[in-house]
Amino acid sequence: MPEKIEVTLTINGETRRGLAEPRLLLADFLRHELGLMGAHIGCEHGVCGACTILIDGRTARSCLHFAVALDGAVIDTVEGLAGPDELHPIQEAFHQNHALQCGYCTSGFLLTTLEFLRRNPDPDEDEIRRALTNNLCRCTGYTNIVKAVAEAAAALRAAD
Amino acid sequence: MSDTPNYVGQAILRREDDYLLRGQGRFIDDLPTPGDTLHLGFVLSPHAHARILGVDGSQALALDGVTAVLVGDDLAKLVQAPFAEIEFPGYHVHGRDVIARQIVRFVGETVAVVVARSPYLAQDAIELVEVEYDPLPACADLESATSPDAPQVHDDIPNNTIFKGDFTTPDFEAAFEGAEHVIRERFRSGRVGGVPLEPRGCLALPEHGDGLVFYSSTQVPHLLRTALARFMEHPESRIRVIVPEVGGGFGTKAQIYPEEFIAAALALKYRRPVKWIQDRREELLTDIHARDHIYDVEIAFNGEGIVQALRADITTNAGAYSSLPFGCTLETTGGARMIVGPYRITNYTYNARAVATHTAPSGAYRGVAQPSCFMAIEGLMDRIARQLSLDPAAVRLANMVPTAELPWTNVVGVRYDTGSFMESLQRAMEMIDYEGFRKRQPADRLVDGKYRGIGIASFTEVSGTGAPGWRARGLVRMPGFDSGIVTVEPTGKITAYVSHAHAGQGHYTTFAQVVADALGADFEDVTIVEGDTATTPYGTNTFASRSAVTGGGALIRAATKVREKMRRIAAHVLETASEDIVIEAGRAHVAGVPEHGLSFLEIAETAYSMNNHTLPDGDGYGLEETDFYDPPLVTMANATHIVEVAVDADDGRVRIENYAVVHDCGRLINPMIVDGQIHGGAAQGIGEALMEEFVYDGEGQLQNASLLDYLLPTSEDVPMFKVEHIESPSIDTVGGFKGVGEGGLIGAVPAVLNAVGDALAGLDININVKPLRPTLLGNLIREARRDRL
Ligand code: FES
Ligand code: FES
Repeated sequence: MPEKIEVTLTINGETRRGLAEPRLLLADFLRHELGLMGAHIGCEHGVCGACTILIDGRTARSCLHFAVALDGAVIDTVEGLAGPDELHPIQEAFHQNHALQCGYCTSGFLLTTLEFLRRNPDPDEDEIRRALTNNLCRCTGYTNIVKAVAEAAAALRAAD
Repeated sequence: MSDTPNYVGQAILRREDDYLLRGQGRFIDDLPTPGDTLHLGFVLSPHAHARILGVDGSQALALDGVTAVLVGDDLAKLVQAPFAEIEFPGYHVHGRDVIARQIVRFVGETVAVVVARSPYLAQDAIELVEVEYDPLPACADLESATSPDAPQVHDDIPNNTIFKGDFTTPDFEAAFEGAEHVIRERFRSGRVGGVPLEPRGCLALPEHGDGLVFYSSTQVPHLLRTALARFMEHPESRIRVIVPEVGGGFGTKAQIYPEEFIAAALALKYRRPVKWIQDRREELLTDIHARDHIYDVEIAFNGEGIVQALRADITTNAGAYSSLPFGCTLETTGGARMIVGPYRITNYTYNARAVATHTAPSGAYRGVAQPSCFMAIEGLMDRIARQLSLDPAAVRLANMVPTAELPWTNVVGVRYDTGSFMESLQRAMEMIDYEGFRKRQPADRLVDGKYRGIGIASFTEVSGTGAPGWRARGLVRMPGFDSGIVTVEPTGKITAYVSHAHAGQGHYTTFAQVVADALGADFEDVTIVEGDTATTPYGTNTFASRSAVTGGGALIRAATKVREKMRRIAAHVLETASEDIVIEAGRAHVAGVPEHGLSFLEIAETAYSMNNHTLPDGDGYGLEETDFYDPPLVTMANATHIVEVAVDADDGRVRIENYAVVHDCGRLINPMIVDGQIHGGAAQGIGEALMEEFVYDGEGQLQNASLLDYLLPTSEDVPMFKVEHIESPSIDTVGGFKGVGEGGLIGAVPAVLNAVGDALAGLDININVKPLRPTLLGNLIREARRDRL
């Protein structure tokens, strides 16, 4: 059994520590060591985007990283988006537009959208569609997700 | 029913969203796992057909943390080979050992299970199990599987023909021979799968000795519990199946799989928690596949394009085994029974067969058979139009059963109670400006360097199948009914338990709308419980577009009983007749005197003996009623999809430029959720039409068992869907609801194919296969253009 190594991450603004054997995927570390179940595993080979999180502000697939390689990184997950009483504007737009059905892909879409709208606060439909191609949804047919992202963009612009 | 429906029909935002958006949905792999849990890993056959000569687990067992390596004979002591209980003339019933014993019959079939302390260790152990095989000739291909020299999949199933059925109307030959025109065509549909974003999994927790709490990402908790009990010979009452949040089902998770039996049996054997989470490769290799059909069809018609007779010869690929619980006839008989769709086709004959091959078992994936049979009949409608130089929409309208003639019983005996075949087509044509498109469309279809075409699919959609519907297809043990329990609690709040299990459909919201109206309650006061066999009454569960029809019907019936009792109690307390009591908005009052009434709380306190009132004579304590609902044969919805496509002349890529749907699922419960079902289904249908396909090579190797190679539609592959509804409430079902889960997919496949066929009609390219990948279309276009030079 390989030695377990201590990993320290800043997750949603909090310092979190855990033990990981070198081959432990970041997704499994977050989910099973730290109990953050919001990122889901849909393929474990980097295609579906269900495991998307932010590493140092950039979207990343937590199934393609080893936890030990990220010691010291700043990570954002879906659990950090909403306050106890209200949803983040992106979450609210997904709710208002029925942009989720089973919800398995949703945290990945939310984080992809978060990063995308920081880069491009006023996207058109084609830009939204292009930005979302890295995340698969098998339930919604994307129509309502695209609408939700446009609405979230407008809400975030209005709030600025 | 409620005196005034308040909630049914409204686009109420979903209750499910808040916890899912926060990442708090608890899916199977998110459940707390006890520290002493054993994790399973499966050793899969790399051969499509082979004799197992030996399994050596010694190296795996030498790993610290690996508890056991078990083979087929070990599991056979714990679980009988499960089989689909089909009684149908021409059907060969056969079992499948949960782990293969002597012979493997498809790539991915389990040959051993490893039991380990962690999932990572289980993976290590899988690598170390050595299996010796004697490879045998395999047959993966549908076309050759019935030839006399094809390798046999099962010794006792001659010609690999698991099932054969036929049907003919008495005047068929005369009608066929007498027609002016005949078109023959072969339609070939590629093999696809549901591929839910969440793979499958289960967690088995022993409790109270020989009891078992079994969590599974299933669509069919009650059917699963019965099957576990039956094939493990364990008392059903000692098993509780719980469905956590499920990340999409689409029928894939309506099957009962070997891993579920294995996990349950090993948890009981070791008296330890047992967990298994599937990976994507396993999902693609071993979950049920669907389609892989050949339709040889002949249609006879007169000079006006009116169909005189239809002949269909249907062959479906069953895969290596009949899957549980549906067997392998759903796609076979489903297509044969539904191909006549909304059309007045009264002379009809079919031959249909399901053929075993050395490939993954087939099963129920969204749309079941209907994408293929409507690809055929809708493709024929377009061909009739082209041959007679008529408009495809006009040919359809001329053949449709008009609304005024409903109810109509089709040629195989399926009743269409209400519907809007012509109206949905006409409205969809308006939405997409069909006439304008046709006026603008040049004869060669080339606009701005792209071939542009428009395609129609008008279809009927089987939903809400009752017991007679299952019997008609040989599923003798498939119940048909679903159940509900409606309880008004002592505090006046309402809990409704229903025999369904959701995988994203929004049942917590929609069923609460139905119950609130049926009871006259406030929507906010109603909570829905489902997906737990310990708390919910028995039912057939959630697949085949059933839940609105069967769950909605059962809940309305149970709620109506509760409502009647509440009226009796209110009348008794208010000293009036129960006929004079109106219940609405969470209160019962005397008709016309709203201030003279009782709240639900006051009625509940009376029912639960928590005040000084007495109950009316004949009524017992409590406010809880149970009822079931078994719909008729089937409940028939209908729709039209119209699609505009642009086909790139150089690379053969298809872009969907405009997409309109008019759907009729009877009374709408929540239009927002119905639209979402249609969007998602249509996206899957676009995938099936343009990109998705499982490809087996001649040796039965699956060539694309990853999401890099099995392509799912992305946000750039699908358009903004425009959806409208016509409501023709069912007169045959309680509540007037019809199903909607599958229509999106069913319509998209033929509509997209017809649109591409229309776009390439100027080149005389015949579109009769799917998927229409760019390479295929690019080659067809190049050849056609070369021929024209
Ligand atoms: S699970 Fe990481 S991309 Fe699919
Ligand atoms: S909502 Fe189910 S996969 Fe996206």
